[in-house]
Amino acid sequence: MLKTTLDKWGRLTAEQRQAIDFTQSKWALTQKLQSFCEENEVTLTRLAELEMIHVIENPNQGMWYTFQLLDPEDDAQSLELSEFKQQFKCHLSELLRQVSVKIKKHTDEAVWIRIAWGGSFSKPNHLKPTYVVHHLQTPYFFVRNLTSKLKPLLSQALTLATRHQGVKEANLSGRNLASIRDLLMRQYQHVFPTKYPSPHDEEDQPVLNQHIEKEQGHVATHRRRMAREVFGDGTLPQLQSAVYKLDTKFKDPSNRTMTEREDTFKCVVKFSSTNLLESLRSCASSGIASAPVTPLLSSIPLKGRNYFVVTDNTPGPSSQRH
Amino acid sequence: MENTSTNGVLTHLSLLEVRALSRGGPEPQRSRVRELRGEAEELRGVRDQLEAEIRARKRLQELRSSADPPAGELLPLMRRHSDLKQRLHVHHLIGGFDAVRTRQGRAVCVFVQTAYEGVFLETFNMELELKPRVQIGRHNIPPFIPLQSLAEQSHLQTDAGAFLSMLSQHLNAFVGRRRQLQLVQEQHRSVEVMESNLLCSVLVLLFTAPPEKTALLCTLKYADLGSCLPGQVHLDCEDSRLPESPEWRSCCDTLRKTPLHRALAGMKKSRMIL
Repeated sequence: MLKTTLDKWGRLTAEQRQAIDFTQSKWALTQKLQSFCEENEVTLTRLAELEMIHVIENPNQGMWYTFQLLDPEDDAQSLELSEFKQQFKCHLSELLRQVSVKIKKHTDEAVWIRIAWGGSFSKPNHLKPTYVVHHLQTPYFFVRNLTSKLKPLLSQALTLATRHQGVKEANLSGRNLASIRDLLMRQYQHVFPTKYPSPHDEEDQPVLNQHIEKEQGHVATHRRRMAREVFGDGTLPQLQSAVYKLDTKFKDPSNRTMTEREDTFKCVVKFSSTNLLESLRSCASSGIASAPVTPLLSSIPLKGRNYFVVTDNTPGPSSQRH
Repeated sequence: MENTSTNGVLTHLSLLEVRALSRGGPEPQRSRVRELRGEAEELRGVRDQLEAEIRARKRLQELRSSADPPAGELLPLMRRHSDLKQRLHVHHLIGGFDAVRTRQGRAVCVFVQTAYEGVFLETFNMELELKPRVQIGRHNIPPFIPLQSLAEQSHLQTDAGAFLSMLSQHLNAFVGRRRQLQLVQEQHRSVEVMESNLLCSVLVLLFTAPPEKTALLCTLKYADLGSCLPGQVHLDCEDSRLPESPEWRSCCDTLRKTPLHRALAGMKKSRMIL
């Protein structure tokens, strides 16, 4: 992995690359690389390039947060990469003088931006860079390692550079960048009701008991189909958690003291899993989650978010994604 | 004497114990099992009875509803049947959309098939909710297709058909542009793709022109997202006179009017590019 990254970086000579023994300890490797970099007089920006290549190859470290751009202007559709790059760098340096920006286009049409932030009098800090991933002409961008202080600056620069008029948090976060991107781009296997059920629909489930199968068989098939319609088929994008922040009145007829309170009952419910959508799908298909699947759960793939605030005044989640 | 009396009591007790043990365990269980088996038999009997009743009623209903049409009416029925089949075929030919009613008739799920140059590509699905008003529901259309503005432009509320045909046009155009790019990457490896985007609305290609391997940068902009052909073609070269030459101007024209992979094949043939 390190070898391919170094090869891609291309700042070491062939002899130097040959001389590196990848079985050595981390400390020994670091020392060797450091000496090579000093030998080649590698600048800080070139080193930043190396880090960026590594992060692009291994994006699933740290938490990615999603933002959504709103109200595109008429010429947002025809935005070219070169214009975007120039505008973004220009806007960001207007907002904050000391900032170091690197923009790279990846093969899957993703634009990667690495930003090292400085202060009014301090140079950019390359040890804590922010990474942004955006696909042009889509309304979403993904951010890693951004402090809340710098969020408005980044949002403004991106909104202006992509020719939109607003930005908001999209309430979707996860460790796996490809998964949250696939969820929003709808790049997973959807299942829609069809007149012509494919042979796949009637796959053989192991029949455990003939009697149960005879009575409950069609109910189970119906449940499985509904679960697949809500969550999708095949491999699902990996989400690690879903958080529901409740701010509703307590409703339990058997507990009068709590129900009679005037204030709302605030609580936070968090579901965690290595692959949350797979777990929810198997909950729905095995009957643990009641069918039809509640909008609270089906909103996760439908709206592409995993953070919800539920109050008594919110009407049931509508089926439109804004 | 004491021994005999205590022995007697003890043996008596042990006899009672043995009897109790041999009687106690399996007996209540066995009878309970028998009871349950009996109940199950009864229930099965009731169920079979109910099923038979349902079958009988269904048969009665069928018999009531199906009345053999008198022979004179058979021919017109057959004619009507073939007429309906033809209509369906025509509807399909003019771009009829396969639609399925879902959620007890409250929504319609539409399938939009896309194809380019006779090759079927992706199918997109969209659920349209009908009540309280026509709304876009669940779908698997990527977010760079501007659904909301399409819905507004075609007045989805009043004319769902117009919206669907516009959507189909956009999706087919998108899929067509993407396919053209794929074909270019497969068939014309000498042409380098410098820039592209997910929507396939902007394409920058690097040509190498034969005599001195001059590099030419060609920018294709597809302003009309409902079309597979670029609205704007722009050439950049170090030698600024080259793009102005009549041959390159006609190449620009070809690029504007012909699908990309075929235009490039033509340009290669006439030795405009390598």
